[in-house]
Amino acid sequence: MKDTLKNFFKKVKNTFVKSDDPVARRAQASKRLYAKSTKSHKVHTEKKRSFFGVNSTKLLKIAGNTLVALFVIMVLILSIRGIAGNPSPTELNRLIWKDNGPLELSPERGRYALMYALAEEKSFSFSPDLARFAAPDVAFTDGKYVSLFAPAVSFLVIPGYFIGKYFGLAQVGSYAVIALFALANLYLIRAIAIRIGAHPIAATIAGVAFLFATPAFAYAVTLYQHHISTFLILMGIYLLIRFNSIWSLMGIWLLCALSISVDYPNFFMMLPIGIAALGKVFIAKRAEGKITFTVPILRVLSVAVMVIPLAFFLWFNSMSYGNPLQLSGTIERAIEVRTDGSPILESEKIIADKKAKGEEIPQGTYDKNVLNFFQSRLLLNGLYSHFVSPDRGLLAFTPVMLFGIAGMVWAIKKRVKHTSLFVAIIGFNILLYSMWSDPYGGWAFGSRYLIPAYALLAVFIAYLLTRLHKYSLFLLFFFMVMSYSVAVNTLGAVTTNRNPPMVEAVGLSEITGREELYTYMRNVSQLNNNISKSYVFEAYVANKITAWQYYIFLTSFIVIVSAFILMTLRIVPKGEQHAL
Amino acid sequence: MQFSFDEKIVAKMKAFFEKRAKVILFFFLSMVSIAYFLYYLSNGLGVAYNDARSHLDISRRVVENLTPGFAQLGSVWLPLPHLLATLTVWNDFMWHSGLSGAIQSMVAYVATGILIFSFLKILGVGMFGRIVGVMVFAFNLNILYMQSTAMTELLLIGTMMAGTYQLLMWHKEETMVRLLQAGFWVMLATLIRYDGWFLLAFAFALIFIHSIRKFGYKTTEGILVLFTTLASFGIVLWLLWNLMIFKDPLYFAFGPYSANAQQSQLEAAGVLETKRNLPFSLQTYIYAMIYNSGFFTFILGIIGMAMFWFDKKIKGEMRIAAIALMAPFFFNIVALFLGHSVLFVQGLHGNSWFNVRYGLMMVPTIAIFVGYLVHRLKSIRIAVVALLLFVSFFTFTNTDAVTIDDAVVGASGKNVQEVSGWLMDNAKDKEGYVLISAASHDAIIFSSQMQMKRFIHEGTGEYWDQALTNPTKWARWIILRTNDQNDSTFRELQDNKQFKNNYTKVKTLPFADIYEIKPEFVKDLRTQPTLEL
Repeated sequence: MKDTLKNFFKKVKNTFVKSDDPVARRAQASKRLYAKSTKSHKVHTEKKRSFFGVNSTKLLKIAGNTLVALFVIMVLILSIRGIAGNPSPTELNRLIWKDNGPLELSPERGRYALMYALAEEKSFSFSPDLARFAAPDVAFTDGKYVSLFAPAVSFLVIPGYFIGKYFGLAQVGSYAVIALFALANLYLIRAIAIRIGAHPIAATIAGVAFLFATPAFAYAVTLYQHHISTFLILMGIYLLIRFNSIWSLMGIWLLCALSISVDYPNFFMMLPIGIAALGKVFIAKRAEGKITFTVPILRVLSVAVMVIPLAFFLWFNSMSYGNPLQLSGTIERAIEVRTDGSPILESEKIIADKKAKGEEIPQGTYDKNVLNFFQSRLLLNGLYSHFVSPDRGLLAFTPVMLFGIAGMVWAIKKRVKHTSLFVAIIGFNILLYSMWSDPYGGWAFGSRYLIPAYALLAVFIAYLLTRLHKYSLFLLFFFMVMSYSVAVNTLGAVTTNRNPPMVEAVGLSEITGREELYTYMRNVSQLNNNISKSYVFEAYVANKITAWQYYIFLTSFIVIVSAFILMTLRIVPKGEQHAL
Repeated sequence: MQFSFDEKIVAKMKAFFEKRAKVILFFFLSMVSIAYFLYYLSNGLGVAYNDARSHLDISRRVVENLTPGFAQLGSVWLPLPHLLATLTVWNDFMWHSGLSGAIQSMVAYVATGILIFSFLKILGVGMFGRIVGVMVFAFNLNILYMQSTAMTELLLIGTMMAGTYQLLMWHKEETMVRLLQAGFWVMLATLIRYDGWFLLAFAFALIFIHSIRKFGYKTTEGILVLFTTLASFGIVLWLLWNLMIFKDPLYFAFGPYSANAQQSQLEAAGVLETKRNLPFSLQTYIYAMIYNSGFFTFILGIIGMAMFWFDKKIKGEMRIAAIALMAPFFFNIVALFLGHSVLFVQGLHGNSWFNVRYGLMMVPTIAIFVGYLVHRLKSIRIAVVALLLFVSFFTFTNTDAVTIDDAVVGASGKNVQEVSGWLMDNAKDKEGYVLISAASHDAIIFSSQMQMKRFIHEGTGEYWDQALTNPTKWARWIILRTNDQNDSTFRELQDNKQFKNNYTKVKTLPFADIYEIKPEFVKDLRTQPTLEL
């Protein structure tokens, strides 16, 4: 063990410290050369093996990937939240669907309401019942209730809603669409990690870590925008680093423009991808003492495809708010809907509260400006919340991502291709949501806004695992941390995302007179009360096993499969690139 | 579509920029500086700080007052900023616009930008890193605001930076000229704020360490004597000044208007929480640094600093010399710990800001380390710069500057518009003097737009004494905070029968009350400066 540790630290040291001694430097270089030649030799001999005429490596790959896909799909099916039925707006307002059910928070209710209005009422505005269901995240303009959220998520889940409705599972069907995006994200992470030089098995583990060991799990089984946003980002990156054609460029522009309709802040996170793609439009060459720039007209014109998603976005805004350039976040909120169908507006309530307290009411206080939502002074609190706080922080909810940070530092040091792009997107994501006045994401499980960053950090987990996969102690440590992260995030997935931020929980405790939990212990208390919102649990096994048993089964399943994949990675010979 | 450039042209452009970088920077930073001064002048924030108005008034009293002269420089603040302002403050526009005090800050802003550029060059940082370092400093909104106002921070930053740069150069070249230049700039810093005194001690220690290791005791002795003679010359002059004017060389430290006296009051009120509490002092100053530099920039600076001090490619003596960049950090921690300084950060000390601008002193240091970091992180430098721009975008769109908040809503600002407005409307165009304590109400004097010689204050010597004994003869208006023993006018007049019987309180306002002489006594008032000796 002492030798293993010694070798491990030596490897880390060799990575970060280039030897001053020229002899040692030559030795390092020759080692790398040897590793490369061994690798090419092994790949060459692998190709020669065959099984009934089919390449055995390919067979193994297919089998392995199929098993992983089955595992992931199974876990997602077991965790997806829902209740059987095709509820009407009146039914949706019942507690069984709202607070105690799968539509527990206003972000999912708001999106579901829009989807319902579009699919069933063929309308962009909400009926009073639907508005009451979506409140307090519903907007009121020109005498009608409209969505407060960007529209694309609601549009994208419509097919799932109709398929689900056919089977009497309308809500489950729409949630399943998000789970599909989550599955796609796992594979995109895997593909991107392989492109930057990670071993496929390490890349698979990274994908699993993202999906089941971060708050991404809790948001893969409900109706939020995060997995779709992450999908657009990952797909954009994949197109950018995998291809260099006019089609890939068109794909990227399309994704960039579409991302705004999914969630407005996606504009900033897609910006680095858009800029990098712009760099591919121009081709620079250096020859014969000249730098030549070529600008292929077709590549430049490929930007035009952005018109399609943008037109959709403007059309939606026009139909909903009467102005194509109006963003939903800037419209007055209706926090409640009276029995006669009239709204109680947010500004009215604030003014009334201030009047009651005898406070001054400054003019223009309630004029909303999108840019004012983000303030650099809030960074300190925001970063604390996202990384350190017990109610949302990475340290408490998904410490496995620390390996991603370590992998990223290593990749920066090694100048791994595309690291700059990843760092930019991760940075934009973290900084943007740390500057927001509500970094907690309202009532939520973990740091939901950082899900795109977790996806990209997972890519670096794959990189780190590839570099250190021969160190059993490291793998053991990684496994322990990952198991903890899986255990925490499965709690969120099978129970609830209704966790108040600490600031609210403290105030709430003072009002209710009882202790309001705000860490994942709140989810534990749900299990203690035998509550799980998983559709499979509710519909099929609730009368056979307890919520705790269900949770333990699911966690053990993920942890055991992850352990198996990690062990497979451990036995991969050093330098070998394709075992599966 | 295709177009090409000759590589030689690109190389020529690069060489041109490398050669003329400082000149280009000079013009660029000057434009930014002027633009921001005009911006803050136009929106009324130019002289929002109470201290800014006092600085301008002190300088003005040297040239225009009932008793003008250098004695008006007083002992509250070190004299260099006021001395520099006296060159222009005689002009009413220069005085009331604050330009007289801001112009030196503006020059210091431009100079500091160029010094950061030079500092990074000496450390072997490439053009990109150097430009980033300068921009981090130059486009810090707190720096931009403070360079537009008549405060002393930028001048101090400029001189300390120049001293630190020359110290670094001396460590590199070991020439006498560099040592003397370092001593000169440190001396100027010691005449601006007491942070400079700490830098002197810091520089002394660094020179001692370097010399003793390299040249032995005898040469070290000579080097230190040479450096200290020049660098401490300002301090000696200041002590002499205090001795001559106030009959006590330490009057500035323990006098009735000293920071020590102010801190004693705060301590008695129980709000000097940092005193003898090292962790809290550390936390307070780090928060001040974060709010002044921006948290993201601060983090990058810390990473850059760690990489710098572990970079074996940079010579050991250069790394040691760069410790001088940390002098303001150590000074402020020590000052807070000893209770010689007071700093309130919102969230740590209730809901108030006070003196949060002290954190500004570390902005150039952070900028240098960010520049260095960008240089080192070649593979992701574009991403880092993009993220810096991203955060800055929101800083600028939301005008997110704590130094402005401190001046506008914090304890460092005073909205005396009501009192000064009354004086403007009712006293400016009439004959007669205003009796007022400059120590308590300099902001009112400044904002009233009246000539300085219309005021009888502590610095007017015999006029002040006579007006306090016989106010009916001298003061048509009296401005004071009724029942506040800290207001020297009230303290002296509270038992004065003339004040009690011959004056009417015409206005009660948040920062002061206004008393006016009863009409029947107006005819006996003196309206010309003729003393009865």
